Amino acid sequence: MPVASSPVRRELAGIGLRQPHYAQVIEDPPAIGFVEVHSENFYADGGASLAVLDEARAHHPVSLHGVGLALGSAAGIDRWHLDRLDRLVRRIEPAFVSDHACFARAARAPGSAVMHANDLLPLAFTEASLDILCNNVSRVQDRLQRTLLVENLSAYLTFHDNTLSEHEFLADLCHRTGCGLLLDVNNLMVNALNDRVADPLAQGLAFIDALPRGIVGEIHLAGYCETPDIVIDDHGSVVRPAVWTLYEHALQRFGAVPTLIEWDTDVPTLDVLLGQAQQATARLAQVVR
Amino acid sequence: MSINETPTIAADAAAEAERQQSLLAALWSADLAAASGQLPCREGPVSVARGLSAYRANAGANAARALGAAYPTVQALIGADDFQRLARDHWLQTAPVCGDLAEWGGSLGSWLDRQQALVEWPYLGDCARLDWAVHRCERAADAVLDVDSIARLGDTDPHRLHFELRPGLAVLRSRWPVVMLHEAHRLADPAPALAAVRAALARDVGETAVVVRAPGGWRTQLHRIDAATATWTEHLLAGASFTDALSAVGDMSDGAKGSAFDLATWLASALRDGWLKGIRVDPD
Repeated sequence: MPVASSPVRRELAGIGLRQPHYAQVIEDPPAIGFVEVHSENFYADGGASLAVLDEARAHHPVSLHGVGLALGSAAGIDRWHLDRLDRLVRRIEPAFVSDHACFARAARAPGSAVMHANDLLPLAFTEASLDILCNNVSRVQDRLQRTLLVENLSAYLTFHDNTLSEHEFLADLCHRTGCGLLLDVNNLMVNALNDRVADPLAQGLAFIDALPRGIVGEIHLAGYCETPDIVIDDHGSVVRPAVWTLYEHALQRFGAVPTLIEWDTDVPTLDVLLGQAQQATARLAQVVR
Repeated sequence: MSINETPTIAADAAAEAERQQSLLAALWSADLAAASGQLPCREGPVSVARGLSAYRANAGANAARALGAAYPTVQALIGADDFQRLARDHWLQTAPVCGDLAEWGGSLGSWLDRQQALVEWPYLGDCARLDWAVHRCERAADAVLDVDSIARLGDTDPHRLHFELRPGLAVLRSRWPVVMLHEAHRLADPAPALAAVRAALARDVGETAVVVRAPGGWRTQLHRIDAATATWTEHLLAGASFTDALSAVGDMSDGAKGSAFDLATWLASALRDGWLKGIRVDPD
C-alpha cells in the first residue's frame, strides 16, 4: 500500500501526467502542485501503468480525472466502471476525483443494448437532463464517499430546446448534489469562438461572473485548434492569451483554485509543459499573496 | 413533489433518453447529412453536420488509438493508413459497451477472419488474437509465486492438486508462424526476420505459444510450446485438476503430442519463466 499522499499546494499549478513523461516525472520530480491522470488508463488489474502511478503518487498528490463515467447518461452509470473507479480511488487516495457534465452511454435504438460512445457528448440544459445528471453524480459520490468535481464541456452541438443557461445548469448541479465544478477555462473560449460572438472574451468573462463563488474546486487550462469552420478543443498546444485572461479573471473571482495544464495531443517535451505550469503558478502567486 | 408530477417527470426523462439515443444513432449512421437533419439541435454558426463530423472524427481517432495500442502487429502488417480505416469500420460495426477503451476490440481477430478484403493475409486473425493475448496479459493482476505451495506436490494426493497459472497467461495455437510474425514486428530492422517469416509461411510452419508476463517484470514474453504442453496448459487454465490435465495429455496420440510431455521438465520451465502462481489443494 502506498504511503499517504501529500496535500495539494494550491500555489503551484499541476500538469497532466502522460506516458511520454512518466520516467522523467518519477526520476526527477518537478516542483508542481499535483499530477492529474485519466482514471480509465489505470483500470487494469495490474501491470506497469499502475506501478508508475503508485510511484508518481509517492512524489506528488494525484488527481483522478475521468472521461468515461458519462455522468449525464439517461441510461445511468455503468456498474463495472464505477467499481473500477472505486477500486482505483481506494488504492491511490487522490486529491481530487473528477469527470464531465456529458453523456456517452445510450442504446442506439429503443430496446437495444446500451453502448458507450467514449466521447464527451453534450447534454441538453433542461430540468429533466439536470435531474438525470444529479442522480448519477449523487450515486457516484455515495459510492466513493467523496465530493466529485464535474467539468463543463466544449460542445460542438447545441440542443434547440434548452431551458437553462449552462452556468445555471452547472450551479444547480453543484447546489443540489454538493459536487464541485471543475472549470475548464479553455472550454469557455472554445464555445465562445464557435458561437462566433462579436467578443468571445466578454462571453467567457460573463460566464465566470455568473457562476456562484465557492463551487469551483479546480481549473483546467489547455490549448485549442482553429480550423476554417470550427474550433476544436484538442489540448494540443500552449494556452492562448485570451484563455490566460479568463484564468486571471477566474482567480480574482474564485481565489487560488488548484489549476492544471492539460496537454493530450502532440504532447511536447516536459520542459514545455512545465513552462506552461510555471505561467499558471505565477498567476496563482498574485492571488495567494 | 405532488403525485400528479410523477408521470411528467418520467416522460421528461424518457424524452432525454430518446434525445441521447438519437445522437448516438447519428454518430453511428452511414448517412451524415440525413442523421444531422433529424437531430433536435440548433443550427448555429457551426452547422449541426459540422458538429457531428467533429465528434465522428474524434471517434475515429479514438478507435485507431485504442486498437493501435492493443494490436501493434496487425497495425504493422497492414500499414497505418489502412489500419485507421479498419479501426473506424470496426468501431462502427462493433461499438464499445464500456468506458475503458483498453477493454474494447477483443473480437477483432474473428472480425478480421470475416473480411473478404483481407483474404490475402489469412494469418491476420491469429496475429490479432496473439496481440490481444499480449495486451490482456500486460493488464493482468500482478502475482508472485507461492513458493511454499510447491511442496504440496510431495505430500498431497495428486487428485486434489490444482496448478494455478499466473494471471494473464494464455495459450495461442496457430497454423501460421505467428510468434515469428509477432517478434519480427518488434524489431527496429525487421527485414531479415520477415525473410525468415516468408520462408516459414512457404513451408506451412505453424506455431503454438504461451503468453506470460516475464518474472519480476512488466513485459510479456512468448514461449513456443508443443501440442502436448498446449493441451496440458489449456486444461489447467480451464480449472482441471493436476491428474485430469495429465490424463488429457495421456489421451493424445504420440503424433498429436509433437513430443513426449514430461512433467518435471514443464515444472522447471514454469518456475523459471513465471508460468506458475502456485498449487492449490482441494478440500477433502
